Amino acid sequence: MMPKLNLTRLVVMLFVLTLLAAGCAKKPLTEEPLVTEQPTQEQVLQQQPAVIEEQPVDEAAAEAARIAAAEAAANKAVSGLLRIYFDFDQYVLTDAARQQLARNASLLKAAPTINVQIEGHCDERGSDEYNLALGEKRAMATKSHLVSLGVSIGRVSIISYGEEIPLDPAKTEAAWAKNRRAEFNARR
Amino acid sequence: MKIVRAILAAAVLYFFYAGSAAAVRIEISAPGEQIIPLAITSLLPMGAVQAGVAEEFQQVLENDLDLSGLFDLVDPEAFLGDAQKLTLHSTQVDFGQWRMLGAEVLIKGGYRFEAGKLTVELRLYDVISRRLLTGRRYIGTLADVRRIAHTFADQILLSLTGESGPFNSRIAYISKRTGRKELYLMDVDGHQRLRLTDHRSIVLNPDFSPTRKELIFTSYDKGNPDLYRKEIYTGRESRLSLKPGLNIGGRYSPDGREVALTLSKDKNSELYLLGTDGTIHRRLTNHYGIDVDPSWSPDGHRIAFVSDRRGNPNIFIVDIHTLEVNRLTYAGKYNATPAWSPKGKRIVFARLEGSEFNLFSIRSDGSDERQLTFGPGSKEHPRWSPDGRFLIYSLDRGGEKSIWIMRADGTGARKISSKGGHDTHPAWSARW
Amino acid sequence: MDSSRKQRWQQLQSVFEPGFRRMLLVSFLLHLLLPVLYHTPWFPKKDPVKPPVYRVNLVNKPVKKPQAGRPEAAPVKKKPPKKVVPPKAKPVKPKPIPPKPKPVTVKAKPKPASKPTPRTVSKPEPTSAVSKAQENALQKRLEELRTAQAKKRAEQERKDHLDALRAAVAAESQQVKSPVADAPVGSVTGKGDEIGVDERDYVREFITRQWRLSQYQLATRQLEAVVLLVYSAEGKLRHYRFEEKSGNEIFDSSLLRAILKSKDLGQPLQEQTDFTVIFNLKDMLDRP
Repeated sequence: MMPKLNLTRLVVMLFVLTLLAAGCAKKPLTEEPLVTEQPTQEQVLQQQPAVIEEQPVDEAAAEAARIAAAEAAANKAVSGLLRIYFDFDQYVLTDAARQQLARNASLLKAAPTINVQIEGHCDERGSDEYNLALGEKRAMATKSHLVSLGVSIGRVSIISYGEEIPLDPAKTEAAWAKNRRAEFNARR
Repeated sequence: MKIVRAILAAAVLYFFYAGSAAAVRIEISAPGEQIIPLAITSLLPMGAVQAGVAEEFQQVLENDLDLSGLFDLVDPEAFLGDAQKLTLHSTQVDFGQWRMLGAEVLIKGGYRFEAGKLTVELRLYDVISRRLLTGRRYIGTLADVRRIAHTFADQILLSLTGESGPFNSRIAYISKRTGRKELYLMDVDGHQRLRLTDHRSIVLNPDFSPTRKELIFTSYDKGNPDLYRKEIYTGRESRLSLKPGLNIGGRYSPDGREVALTLSKDKNSELYLLGTDGTIHRRLTNHYGIDVDPSWSPDGHRIAFVSDRRGNPNIFIVDIHTLEVNRLTYAGKYNATPAWSPKGKRIVFARLEGSEFNLFSIRSDGSDERQLTFGPGSKEHPRWSPDGRFLIYSLDRGGEKSIWIMRADGTGARKISSKGGHDTHPAWSARW
Repeated sequence: MDSSRKQRWQQLQSVFEPGFRRMLLVSFLLHLLLPVLYHTPWFPKKDPVKPPVYRVNLVNKPVKKPQAGRPEAAPVKKKPPKKVVPPKAKPVKPKPIPPKPKPVTVKAKPKPASKPTPRTVSKPEPTSAVSKAQENALQKRLEELRTAQAKKRAEQERKDHLDALRAAVAAESQQVKSPVADAPVGSVTGKGDEIGVDERDYVREFITRQWRLSQYQLATRQLEAVVLLVYSAEGKLRHYRFEEKSGNEIFDSSLLRAILKSKDLGQPLQEQTDFTVIFNLKDMLDRP
């Protein structure tokens, strides 16, 4: 009795399922060929020649392009790494300095072949020795900020010149402000 | 009873004697004049006249003695007959003449130049007690005239103050004469300049070994500010400390066995003691602030230095045995470049006020601060003469950087470097 | 009487302890020792009170008991007054001159006060030949001119007097600097009756002027030496002796020079005198 009952139930369920399936499949059938056939044909026609034609060139030219792009990025980094400025007797980064450092960091990340030496400088006021130490603190603060922005630590070195290499030797507030700086010396 | 009478009589006699013979007591609590009238006669030839010897000798000696501040020179115009006589023995000098001119001390001398050999005889007489204070014979060449004059000036100070002068010594300094900062050497009066380095880089902050003819300094020659050592006569040069980062402000200990300097190998500038072989003996400071500019106490137990550990740069003193740190200066907002007197009592330093430094002096216990320099221009890098009588420093005024010398009390300041040299960072050698 | 006295004495003795007499003697002797000790060099004495600071004029005669007065007053003060007194009387005279213009009207007075005399001479000429009123005016003018001239003369005279006075004052100031005119020569604290300066001040000033020592010669200010100087009545140094040396050769030799330069005081003393001179540097001008 049980198997018989089960069988009849299975048959009924299968019948219902096939009916449902038939009902569902009927609608997309009419649309399918119209929509899918034409675009696929076009895609194949467009892609194939492009791939066939470019691939042999890619080995040399793409490499060159990549080098050119890297070169461009490096050049951009070399020329685009702008110096930042500090307040008197301070090595804390100002907001303006942080913004410039963010730009410098992205330039450096885009040009991974470039290493950079950060030079810390001071204005002429203050003792020479103290300024050498202060210049180093400025360079260090700059370096650690760049590293925190994702520049690999191995690419950044520092040096302090204290007050030895002023940008502007004048004895004015404007000149001093220019001289309190960190410079980015890019090296390939 | 007889004894009592005798004692009474003796007492009466004693009082009578004491009363009649009591001397009038007078106290004189300062000399009438604090300057000694000195007559310098010119060197007389003891043979053939050699042009220039007497004049050059006179100029150097007068300059040194004037700087000493001890003397009031008697006008040579007033000199009488004895000035023209070569009297190398006190019995020959007509002291009466010199006494009449008000002189208390008298310098006489003569020279002989024969076969390339220069002999100079010099005498210092006390006019009042009519005796020889010091007599010297110097033998050298014509090129040694300046040196002879400096050496005799030292001898005069020894005789009249009990301590030799510092005139026969050298000044090391940094000059930009070639366009780059290089190390130079000159006499105390600014003559006999000599360039010692050819790094074509940046050479900084020299210091003399107290015991050898040797200098240490910082140079960027190899890219990094490393500490160099240079033997003056052989010219031999080596790197004493080349740690990554700063190797600056090297200062020999008074016994010449160690060097205090600033290293930043710990990512922060700290003071260290170095052996003369370059090995680190000891770390002296441990603070995240800047610690620079060490200067030894003459006993070699303490070091004054600059630190911003309390905010602004100020002078602190560290005991090199206990490493205990004490603050020395409180006034002013920016105090730097301490220089501890070789006599031990005072420390001279530069204070930044506005945009200009002036030199101050303070006792090593922090009391009795005095300003030594005034007027326009920035005065920095003070260093002592080996006898503690004088100070040498650099002055930045009107776009020119020059080296000046003055007495330790701030008087008698004069420029010793020549024009347009951009000369800074003087250091005074021990007696040569 | 005698027996009663003896009895009383014996009574007294019996009251006191047997050793009382000896004790009294010892006590007396010990007390006597005190003033004796005071005069020995072991007993530290205070430095003599320093006289007030003033320069003693070395042209004055040193005396033992100076009268009250000023040491800087000159002994030669008789000469300048003679020159000064006659001009002093004259400067008073020019004042009576102004009364002359009184006859002239009060209005005219302010005009002569100004000096434009040459202008006034040229102006009256064109106006002279007109009227009596103008003639009166001219007379007035002449009068004015006269008074003006008189005034000018008086002024010139006064100026001459002033110049003479100034010269006299200058001459006087070169000799004496006393702020008090006609000050007697003596000592501020003088109580004696002799004309001259205090002998002690004189000798002190004389030797001080001979002593030369630079602050750059010494490393310390804690130096003192005591010298005994014996001066004859003629003011000549007869003998000197270092009672105490400072131990610093530089300091001591500077004292020796000062003493040798003070061999002749330049003025006689009243008698041979011993001076104990203490030399130290308590008031030496000093920079670090």
